[in-house]
Amino acid sequence: MAKFILPKKSKVKKGEKFDADHDGDNTKKFSVYRWNPDEDENPRMDEYNINLDECGEMVLDAIIYIKDNVDSTLTFRRSCREGICGSCAMNIDGRNGLACLTPINEIKGDVKITPLPHMPVVKDLVPDLNHAYAQYASIEPWMKTDSPAPTRERLQSPEDAQKLNGTDGKGPSGCILCFCCSTSCPSYWWNPDKFMGPAVLLNAWRWLTDTRDEAKGERLDQLEDPFKLYRCHTIMNCTNACPKDLNPAKSISEIKKLMVERHS
Amino acid sequence: MVKSNNSIQSDLGKAKGLGSAHTGTHHWLMQRVTAVASVPLVFWVVYSIFKLQGADYAAFTTWLASPVNAVLSILFVLNSFYHAMLGNQVIIEDYISCRWFRMTKLIGMKLFFIALGVACIFSILKISFAGGM
Ligand code: SF4
Ligand code: SF4
Ligand code: FES
Repeated sequence: MAKFILPKKSKVKKGEKFDADHDGDNTKKFSVYRWNPDEDENPRMDEYNINLDECGEMVLDAIIYIKDNVDSTLTFRRSCREGICGSCAMNIDGRNGLACLTPINEIKGDVKITPLPHMPVVKDLVPDLNHAYAQYASIEPWMKTDSPAPTRERLQSPEDAQKLNGTDGKGPSGCILCFCCSTSCPSYWWNPDKFMGPAVLLNAWRWLTDTRDEAKGERLDQLEDPFKLYRCHTIMNCTNACPKDLNPAKSISEIKKLMVERHS
Repeated sequence: MVKSNNSIQSDLGKAKGLGSAHTGTHHWLMQRVTAVASVPLVFWVVYSIFKLQGADYAAFTTWLASPVNAVLSILFVLNSFYHAMLGNQVIIEDYISCRWFRMTKLIGMKLFFIALGVACIFSILKISFAGGM
């Protein structure tokens, strides 16, 4: 059954306050989720008041500023700082997104930062994505062919390539696997053990629509399941959350269309 | 959150689980077909209720005894209960995560709707045949 009351140890408490505004007049308060597995404590929201003139303009810049100058224990993932690695995905001001692509000045009032929703937390802003990665691996996201390998690259017409890239560059191959979409999907929250979630399904579609791939039947066989695919009820949170402006909900509808098509 | 258990199993093993059930498409399609079919049927029911306003038992049974009304009523019952059954299945699958409880509820719910549907159809036929005499 769904649990309606949080276990005692997961209630988020008020945390420490750090004043690091250095008496500037361009300041902002960041309220950040903190939890350390080594301490037997509840999670807490620490508050950092910082001077925006001293840091860059994105939320990630502020988090890095805090780690460098205010509190070195703050833990988060980041790598590319330009929206391509997907590692700085977190919930900022109630929305899943990439900290490196979210300008601080777009957020009114205090900036509240928590890890991606509904995933186990490793530490502070770092969610445990092992299961999501394993689900991605389970769809075998690589080209599968029976025809013998050609001596040169496998050819594709520009139109076929467009199915992957999208006419606007927002096709399924643009996915950076940040899981902002899956962790915003209520269906994924309730049934993450079996539902693949929008990120993985968008990638399943990426292979189903690749004209070079020869395993479509097998891929559809693996997805035809009340839970793996059909937990999606087209709530569209995923598309709304995607920081790369992709459309996982549409990819999922396309998969469902193929499912019907092969029965007719 | 994925429930932790004490067995040591690889993440991929957990993610693959028992594999695909190879069903779901028929359910998904039928949910849509019955939804579309319910549009004219509901219109017909609302229209009929409106027309039969204030009718007494005899007038109502005579109305139901007409083959067209009896057939449309049976279709309405079948379509509505089938749609309700499919919809309830989605709700149970969404919100009940304990496997055995889920399975029991699913079977119970389906039996309930089948029983209800059969009872309705039996009533319609009974009135229809009795009224036709
Ligand atoms: S459209 Fe489907 S996958 Fe996307 S948020 Fe809704 S239920 Fe989840
Ligand atoms: S579809 Fe968008 S939100 Fe989802 S994992 Fe890919 S890039 Fe991230
Ligand atoms: S740091 Fe790479 S996407 Fe933000």
